[in-house]
Amino acid sequence: MNENRRQILEMLAAGKITADEAERLIAALESGSGANVGEHSASMAGANGSNAATVKTRAKYLRVLVEADEEMTGLRGPTSVNVRVPMQLLRAGVRLASLIPAQAHELFDEALNKHGVPLTLSQIKPENLEELIDHLEDLTVDVNGSQGNATKVRVFCE
Amino acid sequence: MTPNFAIIGIETPHWRTPRLWLPLFLLWIPVILLSPVIILVLVAVAIAARTNIWRLIAIIWGILCSLPGTHVHVRAEGNQVLVRIL
Repeated sequence: MNENRRQILEMLAAGKITADEAERLIAALESGSGANVGEHSASMAGANGSNAATVKTRAKYLRVLVEADEEMTGLRGPTSVNVRVPMQLLRAGVRLASLIPAQAHELFDEALNKHGVPLTLSQIKPENLEELIDHLEDLTVDVNGSQGNATKVRVFCE
Repeated sequence: MTPNFAIIGIETPHWRTPRLWLPLFLLWIPVILLSPVIILVLVAVAIAARTNIWRLIAIIWGILCSLPGTHVHVRAEGNQVLVRIL
């Protein structure tokens, strides 16, 4: 059984959605539109007052939004950064790590240790990196400046 | 799919460029013409990195094909830079 279908049935069993809603979700799933399923489940979960257990859709982009406070940057006018990176690019990028020669690993490890990052590059396998990217989809960073600092930083997947 | 267009926009307080649509697909022409040189470079990199050349090509191709959708917009002191890859 497909994982999304199982999740829908679990939501139904837990009473988080009604049979009609489950049917609509399964129909959306069968039509092959993952985005629709996400929208349906989000709206249904919201309608039922439950934010838990939504059918997970695969994030396509990593977004980084920064709105820096004028006083903090010392620059005139607003400073903002809006970056959207395809998750696929991150996946492809981490594969580049496999091209790093073994001799360079020691240098990297040494440099990372020097900066307080106790990481051994040779122990990181491509599958670990894939897993890291997969879990990045659940990441949301929301930082708001305090004490009159209007800086805002948001990192999320969409 | 490889990137077909890049949209670039630069704006300063004094002047601004219209958004430039760069047809990246036209880069295939110099790439094909320079392919012998590119292959030599790839072989050299593969030897230096002690990796399989096909794996190297697969990684580069993967990066190239995942570029569409990239969007970078930076604004500071009235200057703006926009780069979008389609």
